[in-house]
Amino acid sequence: MTVTDNESQGIIHVPTLIIALKNGLLVVVIFSLLALILQGILKPLVASLQVVETVTTTLSLILILVLPYIAYIMSGSAVRELVKTSIPQALLTAVIATIVLFSIISVGHYLLNLGIFAPTSSIQMTVVDTDEGVLVESVVEGGAADIAEVKVGDVITAIRRDPVDRATLMARVAQSEVDSPLRLRMIRDGEEIQVTVRTVLATSSDASALFPGLIMALGVTLITIIWPGQFTPYVILLAILSPLFLGYLWLIIATFSTRTQGIIPLDGEGNIGGFTLSNWDFLFGKDIVGLNVSIWQVTLNSLIIAVSMMLIVLVVSSMAAYALSRMHFPGRKAFLSFTLVLHGFPAVTLLIPIFFVLANLGRTPVIGEIVGFNKPIGIALVMVAFQLPLGVWLMKGFFDGIPWDIERSAMIDGASRWRVYWEILLPQIRPGLLALGIFAFLGGWNAFLIPQTYSTGAGMVNLPVFLNQLISETAPVNWNQIAAVGLFQLVPVFILFIFAQEYLLNIYAGGTKGFS
Amino acid sequence: MQVTIENLTKKFGDVIGAENLSLDIKDGEFVAFLGPSGCGKTTTLLMLAGIYKPTSGTIRFGDTVVNRLSPRERNIGMVFQSYALYPHMTVYKNIGYPLKLKNMQKKEIDERVNAVANTMGIGDLLDRRPGQLSGGQQQRVALGRALVKEPDILLFDEPLSNLDARLRLTMRGEIKHLQHDLGITSIYVTHDQIEAMTMADRIAVMSGGHLQAFDTPEALYDRPKTLFVAGFVGNPPMNFINVEVSASNGHFVATNGNMSLDLSKERGEKPATAGNSVVMGIRPEDIQIAPDGTVPAEVFVVEPLGRENLVDVRIDGESILLLADTKADHKRGDSVKLKFNMNKAQFFDSKTGKSLLWA
Ligand SMILES: Nc1ncnc2c1ncn2[C@@H]1O[C@H](COP(=O)(O)OP(=O)(O)O)[C@@H](O)[C@H]1O
Ligand SMILES: [Mg+2]
Repeated sequence: MTVTDNESQGIIHVPTLIIALKNGLLVVVIFSLLALILQGILKPLVASLQVVETVTTTLSLILILVLPYIAYIMSGSAVRELVKTSIPQALLTAVIATIVLFSIISVGHYLLNLGIFAPTSSIQMTVVDTDEGVLVESVVEGGAADIAEVKVGDVITAIRRDPVDRATLMARVAQSEVDSPLRLRMIRDGEEIQVTVRTVLATSSDASALFPGLIMALGVTLITIIWPGQFTPYVILLAILSPLFLGYLWLIIATFSTRTQGIIPLDGEGNIGGFTLSNWDFLFGKDIVGLNVSIWQVTLNSLIIAVSMMLIVLVVSSMAAYALSRMHFPGRKAFLSFTLVLHGFPAVTLLIPIFFVLANLGRTPVIGEIVGFNKPIGIALVMVAFQLPLGVWLMKGFFDGIPWDIERSAMIDGASRWRVYWEILLPQIRPGLLALGIFAFLGGWNAFLIPQTYSTGAGMVNLPVFLNQLISETAPVNWNQIAAVGLFQLVPVFILFIFAQEYLLNIYAGGTKGFS
Repeated sequence: MQVTIENLTKKFGDVIGAENLSLDIKDGEFVAFLGPSGCGKTTTLLMLAGIYKPTSGTIRFGDTVVNRLSPRERNIGMVFQSYALYPHMTVYKNIGYPLKLKNMQKKEIDERVNAVANTMGIGDLLDRRPGQLSGGQQQRVALGRALVKEPDILLFDEPLSNLDARLRLTMRGEIKHLQHDLGITSIYVTHDQIEAMTMADRIAVMSGGHLQAFDTPEALYDRPKTLFVAGFVGNPPMNFINVEVSASNGHFVATNGNMSLDLSKERGEKPATAGNSVVMGIRPEDIQIAPDGTVPAEVFVVEPLGRENLVDVRIDGESILLLADTKADHKRGDSVKLKFNMNKAQFFDSKTGKSLLWA
């Protein structure tokens, strides 16, 4: 690229600077207006309704806090293009834009008593950390500390009896309500004395507090300039998903520790640590308090339910869907819409009628042994019925996607309808079968309501029901052990996903494409 | 294998797919079904294949009525427009599939698949999947699969319409050649008349589910029996002019306004009896721009086709297409004189659309 216009020759690229400033200011104006609307119009309005609410206040606070950084990001992104031509020029332009914006915003904050200029609880002095304690550096004349006769050179060691450093001192001050007394323990001239300071609401006029803000602003701008754009979606995703990740992290940590605070494992004395494997004892036949059933029996029940559900759903859905997709018979349309209605039908409403069906089935000789009340396959069958509508529709969609000509071609090649279905069509909808299979398996594996309703006795429960029983026991609940059982239940799910992902990709590479 | 179709009809509810078709296809013949889109070509072909059950009428292969036979009992091979290859199978398995269904020995399947693949020039693609092949290669695989079981009848449903123009030309020749060598009775559906004209021994022209004509390409071109066939066959299409044909002491003339054209006895005798409701048809190549022409006209559009120019001229505002030498360099607005080769002129009854020359 050859840049020839005069403006771009200098150390600052003026057009870019103008755009950067314009973008930044636009954000400032829009956000200020928003904050104004929230704070000035909505809030009185809501207040007049005599409803206590903090949402508008919180929102306007967020706007005030976040606003500057959005502005820096906006102005920084205006400079991104320039980086390709000249890096020093880009940096300089960005720095100047940021400083100008920062100044404007700071002046705004100062005038409106916002941001760091917002009035906070203060005792109006500055301090630094030293080895002996917190050293008073300066006190504002006539300020709270001055009135309490705190002198420069005093070393604060504690508030009441709690030892402090600079950070905790500042935090205590900031958190205390206006005019509340703070009893400071300090050393003056080698003597220990106590001084009571009353906090006041004061606006910081300490301009040096602006520096960290400016550094942050420059940092944000710089990151914006060099930020690899393709990461943006991931960062947003990660931010949104982080609660989920933290949840799983807790689950894993909890299973290997005696107790946890947040996601930090603690031992008996409350120190970090307390690693233990005892939560996993249940795997080795050791009874969990009050429940006299082996985890492996429970797992087997879960597995029988999940696998039989998967198989039956796959077979029935794919065959029904084939008929619905490829054959014309009276009542086809009605059947399809009926299936859709069934899909929306809540299972709970049918619990009692189904109970009677299962109970009666259970009394039938032979069949009752397999599919009756309190039998894994019987329970699976109930859930199959609830999954079929979805399965049939899903599979029908897949069959509909296969061109008729392929089927005709196979029939002309000499295949029977059955072979066409088995050898030509099913392989082409493998991704669909796999998806539905996983869906059904997980449905069965994680099922709670139906197994809970239709199984009694410790020997018949599946994992989710078992988990629930652990919680409802009268003995004290060991949450870390429950976490371990929960994680144990998750293991096949993880394995399935890892395996299935690879498989899905494989199929995709084989492709059903290639038809023009 | 000889194929006989009698009064074949297929209805989809109220929609007519094909109606009252009757044709005789000789053993080893190459027949094209030609017609505009939606005229029932595919429907007819699928009835022959056994995919659609006819609503009425009979289909005979040789002497056997096959109406009730399933597709696999008919021993046919079919090539689809979409190729309809099995995407999850390799080329080898695609071609071998019909043989596998016949429970043939692995060794024999192997021999036959390789032989066919080599004939089709796809011997080195056997391990690929259809998705990894170009359109032309997929077409060859589809053809190979249709041929491998040595069918009695080959059916083609617009097999070349998804290929680019150049490849279409090559494949056209190859299919024609292959069919000739193998001598398999073939039915070839197309909406492209050049394909039909160049490949087929006989062409069945269809329209609106009905058979319009069934004849050799030359006969359809030189002696069209209906107005539809005359207009449909040939590109650029035949010109039609309303005329009055009259006879006076052994001289025949066709007149329209102040245009008057002399006719020979062979051409003029029959139309003269029909009076004034006659449509004259004349092909673009049978009209010349010549200084000694008799009909004045004005050049309206000149479209260069490369070898010659397609010229749209107007006679009293009526559009006439003709082919002219590129050297002549006609321009829009030029006044020209036209000369008609009246020995090639066709005459139709304007009411019935039937030819007045060829019964
Ligand atoms: N399966 C079908 N159901 C209903 N109508 C059909 C079906 N197949 C074809 N038709 C109708 O029959 C007519 C002929 O179709 P088709 O044989 O596919 O035409 P072509 O192959 O000549 O383009 C069309 O009007 C089409 O809409
Ligand atoms: Mg068609």
